[in-house]
Amino acid sequence: MKKWLALLLVVVFVFAVTGCGTPTPPADDTGDDAGDAPAALKVGMVTDAGTIDDKSFNQGTWEGIQLAAGDFGLETRYLQPGGTTEADYITEIGNLVDAGFMFVVCPGFKFETAIFDVQTRYPDAKFVLIDGFPHAGDWNPVVNDNVVSIFFAEHESGFLAGLATALQLREGEVGFIGGMEIPPVQKFNWGFQQGVIYANENHGTNIVMNAENFIYEGSFDNVAGGQVLAAAMYDKGVDAIFAAAGGVGIGAINEAKTRAAKGEVVWIVGVDVDQYADGIYEDGKSIILTSAMKGIDVAAYDMIEAELNGTFPGGQILTFNAANGGIGIPKENPNLDPEVVALVAEALAAMAAGTLVVSDVQGELLR
Amino acid sequence: MMVDLIYQLFPYAIAFTIPLLITSLGGLFSERSGVINIGLEGLMLMGMFVGAFVISSVEALYPTAAVWIGLLAAAVIVALFALLHAFACVTLNANQVISGIAINMIAGAVTVYLARFFTGSGNVQIIRGMPRITIAYLSDIPILGQLLFTHTYASTWLILLILALATFLLYKTRFGLRLRACGEQPHAADSAGVNVYLMRYMAVLISGACAGLGGATFIVTLSGEFNGTAAGLGFLALAALIFGQWKPWGILGATFFFGFATTVANVSQVIPVLAQIPGIYLKTFPYVVTLLALILSSKSSQAPKAIGEPYDKGKR
Repeated sequence: MKKWLALLLVVVFVFAVTGCGTPTPPADDTGDDAGDAPAALKVGMVTDAGTIDDKSFNQGTWEGIQLAAGDFGLETRYLQPGGTTEADYITEIGNLVDAGFMFVVCPGFKFETAIFDVQTRYPDAKFVLIDGFPHAGDWNPVVNDNVVSIFFAEHESGFLAGLATALQLREGEVGFIGGMEIPPVQKFNWGFQQGVIYANENHGTNIVMNAENFIYEGSFDNVAGGQVLAAAMYDKGVDAIFAAAGGVGIGAINEAKTRAAKGEVVWIVGVDVDQYADGIYEDGKSIILTSAMKGIDVAAYDMIEAELNGTFPGGQILTFNAANGGIGIPKENPNLDPEVVALVAEALAAMAAGTLVVSDVQGELLR
Repeated sequence: MMVDLIYQLFPYAIAFTIPLLITSLGGLFSERSGVINIGLEGLMLMGMFVGAFVISSVEALYPTAAVWIGLLAAAVIVALFALLHAFACVTLNANQVISGIAINMIAGAVTVYLARFFTGSGNVQIIRGMPRITIAYLSDIPILGQLLFTHTYASTWLILLILALATFLLYKTRFGLRLRACGEQPHAADSAGVNVYLMRYMAVLISGACAGLGGATFIVTLSGEFNGTAAGLGFLALAALIFGQWKPWGILGATFFFGFATTVANVSQVIPVLAQIPGIYLKTFPYVVTLLALILSSKSSQAPKAIGEPYDKGKR
């Protein structure tokens, strides 16, 4: 009898837990000031692996949506899939569309095949796919008129971060820890190296880059791995590490904080969003020198705005780069000198004007 | 060259070993009393959350004491959380494996929920971790000084002390003998006047405290941030418990083996000598060795005899 009771309890627990695993979080309704506009747009989002507040992709996208919701008075909602398979994604996208959310933003290349499927299944809904393009699994882009696919010029962002790092350090050695060896991460790396080389050649800095310190950990979640990799690099005399590696980067940041608290001068260059706050070790001082940012929020915001203006760029593959304000380093960089910030702004302007070209392929660069 | 490498990696390997060791020790208490604890992963995750949350809450007030307050809080609160497992396994005679799985699932959901509820974010970061210290005088000892007493953490020595005390407790005291008896022959223990239920409750409580301490130690030394996952460390600790044949010094060896091998695998890419070996071999090495060791030792497994059996007074 007792056994059955226990088993029942366990089953209830399990259901309670899985019930929590795929929640429908309370939507942040901001439809108050919709006024007498015709049926307000309802914007939905499906999260990629990780949570809505991952300080990275999901959060950046959601912040852009929230900003647009505030400005235009929209109803928004996000759903977190139970897994990261195509079926999980399609289910949640379908749930949003069924609930009347006819504008769905999906961050991450993992959505590519799911969007390929839903773009024909729900022809009346509009989809924004960030960091990928819809395909049937064969890498043949098929972008219907109700889908826009967005990429970023990570190499340009990395270039600015590399330039800023080199100008600020003047002398020393830099390294790179990447997550998986996939194009967005590789482009960050190659851009970063070009930025450092550019500073060495044009601004008289003397920054060393050794091939053995430019590596990909191979995952985005091995925190301990990031920590020990950063430790080994710092032990070898590296001064600043560009960590484009999600959770692996968190480990690297922690190692840098431990060293900085002891008085060592070490730096991390953040990625995707402004990571300054993550690197604070005492009295507001942070080991984040600067961050190579991707305007994920800008992209989400711009697409919503375009849809409201009736100019949704359906069927296109867009690239957010220096020219359209899609990449950059943070506005506030307490660890950079004003001269450095000014020089980086100059480089950004040159990039936007097309006089400074950053390559997005490896060429002669390290790994 | 090789020697330099060992000197360089040793402190990091120890840092990775310690959270595994204390969690594994927690598993040892539980299993030696006859209760399988597959929930170590969840308990550790809970410890990570409690540690990170408490430290981030109090570190503005007590910048240096915060990490210790966090470690203590994690041990106490996770011990209480482990009561769930004890209640299901001891009082309700539930299947211990299923209860452990439930613990893992609850911990994964409840920690993220609580983190959001209290901090507004699923990631809880601490500003100051455990400082890395070099111990005066002891670090001057040839070889050992450099291996053990430089770049070390105070928490490391606390946990090694706990290991020594636990060994003493298990093998040299009446409490330890009774606890082990409950895992081998609970009926015999009962007929000798030992309260099997109470012993098992205490063992599971200790196991929760140890795993909680392990999770919090991981936060203060390695990661600095709770992010909703224990990344399989609890299961690794469980494997080390079996690999170490349910003996304190065995698990010390097993966890250090895992710690060292994992550290070498993690760091291999930036060490030219190791970078020549494909990463996949280094990363799978500890698991392959564990599998082999388990196969070889399966005939002479030292597992507690009554492990996994709910104690039923009426059954002989």
